[in-house]
Amino acid sequence: MLAPVIPHLSIAIDTGGTFTDCVYRNRGRIEVLKLPSTPDDPSRAILEAVRRVCELVPARRVEVRHGTTVATNALLERKGARVAFVTTAGFEDTLAIARQARPNLYDWNQHRPAPITSLTFGVPERIAPDGSVLLAPSKSALANLRGAINDSEAESIAVSLLFSFANSAHEQAVAEALASLRLPISLSHQILPEFREYERGSTVALNAYLAPRMQSYIRALERGLEKRSAALSIMQSSGGILSAASAAREPVRTILSGPAGGVIGALSVARIAGIDRILTFDMGGTSTDVALLDANREPPTTSEGQVEGLPVSIPMLDIHTAGAGGGSLAWMDSAGALHAGPQSAGADPGPACYGRGERATVTDANLVLGRLHPDYFLGGAMRLDEARAHKALSAIPHRSFASLEHFAEGIIRVANARMESALRRVSVERGFDPRTFTLLAFGGAGPLHACALAESLGIRRVLIPAAPGALSALGILDADLRREFSRTVMLAPASPQISEVFPALEAEARAAFASESARPILKRSADLRYHGQGYELRIDWSADAFSRFHKLHEQTYGYSDAARSVEIVTLRVQAIARSPKPHVPQAKKGSESCAPFIAQSHRAMSGNTHRIFENGRWRKAALYDRAQLAPGNRLTGPAVIAELSATTYLPTGWEASIDAQSNLILTPNARSRQ
Amino acid sequence: MTTNRQLDPAEIAVIGHALHSVAVEMGAALRRTSFSPNIKERRDYSSAIFSAEGYLIAMGDDMPVHLGSMPMSVAAALADLRLMPGDVALLNDPYRGGTHLPDITMVAPVFIPGRRRAAFYVANRAHHADVGGMYPGSMGPCREIAQEGIRIPPVKLMNSGKMDTQLLATILANVRTPREREGDLTAQLGACRIGATRMLELVDRFTHPRLVAAVAAMLSGSERLMQNVLASLPAGEWSAEDFLDDDGVIPDPIAIRVKIATDPKRRRATVDFAGTDPQVPGSINAVYAITWSAVFYVFRCLLPAEAIATAALMRPVNVLAPEGSIVNARPPAAVAGGNVETSQRIVDTLMRALAPAIPDRIPAASSGTMNNLTIGGIDPRSGQPFTYYETIAGGLGASPQSAGASGHHAHMTNSLNTPVEALEYAYPFRMIRYGIRPNSGGAGKHRGGDGLIREIELLGDAQVTLLADRRATSPWGLNGGAPGEKGKTLIVRSGEDENLPGKCTRELKRGTRIRIESPGGGAWKTKS
Repeated sequence: MLAPVIPHLSIAIDTGGTFTDCVYRNRGRIEVLKLPSTPDDPSRAILEAVRRVCELVPARRVEVRHGTTVATNALLERKGARVAFVTTAGFEDTLAIARQARPNLYDWNQHRPAPITSLTFGVPERIAPDGSVLLAPSKSALANLRGAINDSEAESIAVSLLFSFANSAHEQAVAEALASLRLPISLSHQILPEFREYERGSTVALNAYLAPRMQSYIRALERGLEKRSAALSIMQSSGGILSAASAAREPVRTILSGPAGGVIGALSVARIAGIDRILTFDMGGTSTDVALLDANREPPTTSEGQVEGLPVSIPMLDIHTAGAGGGSLAWMDSAGALHAGPQSAGADPGPACYGRGERATVTDANLVLGRLHPDYFLGGAMRLDEARAHKALSAIPHRSFASLEHFAEGIIRVANARMESALRRVSVERGFDPRTFTLLAFGGAGPLHACALAESLGIRRVLIPAAPGALSALGILDADLRREFSRTVMLAPASPQISEVFPALEAEARAAFASESARPILKRSADLRYHGQGYELRIDWSADAFSRFHKLHEQTYGYSDAARSVEIVTLRVQAIARSPKPHVPQAKKGSESCAPFIAQSHRAMSGNTHRIFENGRWRKAALYDRAQLAPGNRLTGPAVIAELSATTYLPTGWEASIDAQSNLILTPNARSRQ
Repeated sequence: MTTNRQLDPAEIAVIGHALHSVAVEMGAALRRTSFSPNIKERRDYSSAIFSAEGYLIAMGDDMPVHLGSMPMSVAAALADLRLMPGDVALLNDPYRGGTHLPDITMVAPVFIPGRRRAAFYVANRAHHADVGGMYPGSMGPCREIAQEGIRIPPVKLMNSGKMDTQLLATILANVRTPREREGDLTAQLGACRIGATRMLELVDRFTHPRLVAAVAAMLSGSERLMQNVLASLPAGEWSAEDFLDDDGVIPDPIAIRVKIATDPKRRRATVDFAGTDPQVPGSINAVYAITWSAVFYVFRCLLPAEAIATAALMRPVNVLAPEGSIVNARPPAAVAGGNVETSQRIVDTLMRALAPAIPDRIPAASSGTMNNLTIGGIDPRSGQPFTYYETIAGGLGASPQSAGASGHHAHMTNSLNTPVEALEYAYPFRMIRYGIRPNSGGAGKHRGGDGLIREIELLGDAQVTLLADRRATSPWGLNGGAPGEKGKTLIVRSGEDENLPGKCTRELKRGTRIRIESPGGGAWKTKS
């Protein structure tokens, strides 16, 4: 029977290192499709996924929303374009000097990462801080610049002149002079009209570095999608979705494309489950991304992000990354202190138990402790080698531990300490009490460590969404069209200029969204600080903005001073066009009683008793297949819950229930609550 | 969980991370709320946590020169004052726990409610852009400490939660930019408050006895780490000397001499500065805390990565510095440059001594000066006084492993630059040029890093003070590698340039330009 043709189909596709996750809605139901990634040309797996979905669900209009690692990988592998960096004469070394500091205080051989280009050009021109012109670029200087760049074999151009945000005329003149070269050109007053020349220059140079590759990638994808007349949009680091054309122009906005999808996915899971405050915990193989979110608000963004030691100052979701994941290596220093990471076994050779690596990782420790089951990893697609894991752990001297299993527990605790620091960084260190949050754990390894982390942070509830591995794709499916427009102004609170800048930003926003055929909701905000400070707090713009600033300063930093004058540093307009978020139907309720279920599932999965090592001793544990759990089921720890994309470890003292959306809700049981 | 359970290495690591987070958070709070570009943009500050006995148990990734001197500040505050709940001590006297006068340190006790003795101390130190004295910026060529600025022994700025407004008024009356100082001091107080709050949260979470047990384990762990490093060194006596150009008063070089005796069997080392020149009339005398910090820094660099860094690292290392010498100055010697210039030369001397002992570890000399530039005057835009302070990075020395990097801060400092756009908003200056100084690194198999050129035009009349070195001697190379280029300072007026000495002060007119060219790093090995 032919499937009926539906009017509109949205497909979200998240490219990962191993799998390309594809999520779409079929008559209200979320469907997941997982294909092996094609790293040499990621578009192959994407087009294949689209082909399969379109055959299953024919639609008149198809929209493909994509979370991409093209920008991230080009940056990590340093495989971007040859960039000509154009700046004010006398400041050609801005990128090389950075902020003149070294990255590690106590290592004589660790220097700053090299800038992404050393091909720099100075233009004799100067704008003053107030925007007035001190020296205009001459026609001959611009002609010389064009000649020099033409001879340099540059593939992309970045322009970042001093004080361009105060007056963009000179950058525009440079752009006009270089237009005939027909190269992608990134202008600082368009990409990041804010002060601090190194951070702005770095962001614009990165954009230029990524532009040619992103442009050809998107062109290839669009060609492939043409025959289905599917529209393409791309997930940005800010958590919003952007048309493919915008992403091709400003690829620096996509560096955190994947992790941003995870945050947005977590947010929609929390909203549907009716949970307000969440800490997201996305633990993968080499790193862990965490974020603090209020489900009633827009996710917070930061402008102080860094990727590979290079600043990226466009707004990105405030995601903190810790250098610990399942692949983190365990090691002992000469004084007998135990460490986990930051070095990682990576994808190759991977943890010892994957069969190629020799060195012990966090994943190996989890296997030794029985928290991973060797037969049910990746839904049984890959058998884990227990003997190898034991051998790798034994190779590390561990006399200070009572047994190898005690040592494995030690490795887990040290790895957890790193991730806990990351969770603290986004919560405690910003004045939020983690005990009042739900820990939302996903990624391949998140559900294994979630309860232990919750315990050390005093968190009383952990949520593991359905298909924790595909949450990023789900987030991309739900993401709104979103972009921020900003300008550094340095104004006093009563300045009449405020009422000129906001409407100008809003006009810019409407024009940009018109080209994406969307009408945005606009929201004003401002970065405020006490006059003379160097860092700002972002405040929603309204009549009481300044009194809210004093209050927030008190809350964040331990003091406020209403007598000090306040300065408006940057004005911002956030433009959002909401994506429709269909109601998620509730799954069918399962049996209330749990006892028969445990027995059944247990038999179904392993046929014999599973054992885990916990708090210094071995004990029996139940083993569940998550696919067989239904809303209403209740489980008691210790238990291991396996599914295709992740394994959940439910320790003694914890219990789990399945909610109406098939989320696993883990809570400490009544006895351990005392 | 029980409190008397034996701690294992994992638990100690967890608590170590938690303590480090508190120190980092104190620093972040200070940076985000301070007012002077030197603190907010350049991060010229440190923050640290101390045990009840005053041992340093955690420090932010801040300024190495403060490593050793922070514990001495806490010791001085505890010796002079009985710190009660709600008290905060303040000090800057280099002869009683300080380093040089612009560095103002605050120390706050952390009391567990109901206990009579402080359980921990939190402290932070920030370099204030002016603390009075003869020259704007308080970093000028003085002859005695009384000329360098206001000198504050350990005193209580907060008394049982109440600010001593008379003390604050006295301090503010003695500085050139009181509004900015008040803001920065408030930011330091806020950071102490945040640190103390977080420490109490750790007590809630881990319990006090377990924290104390973990701290004891961390201290003995760091001691063992250092002992293992010392056990890996060859036995012997390793001597070296190096020179500061002059003290800005008498045009003679000043020698620093060191002998490092390594005893791998007993896992100890003695560092003896006997033979170092006596203290000088100019302002480059270093107090003992700085010398100790420099030794601490060099030995810390020999440790493996990710080491738990507590004060106990230095237990196996004995540091002897003759009293009244340039590395252990006595009052009334002027000391502004001891912290920033002499500290770097002490490191150079120590590394020169260690190079033959561990030739595969030690790099050639880095720029060896912080090129301290202070400018003060009245801002014609506002009519208000201003003081600007900045240090300028140079080239790093090449190592057996790699070429030296260009435009990096070396060794005892790691402060950031002031962004050009932040600088021109804050001060009546125009930046003319900021770039790498080509070919200033030494030539060799591994090249030394290049220094920097920074050229500033004054938009109003101002007093300009320079405190810099390596203008007469060069950063040395190793194994036949060439030395780095010496530093240079020029006053650029229409027509003629004037070469300035390394340590001097000048009243300059609007429109004058100052150009600093910082030294390059030494090279490693002859080019084959």
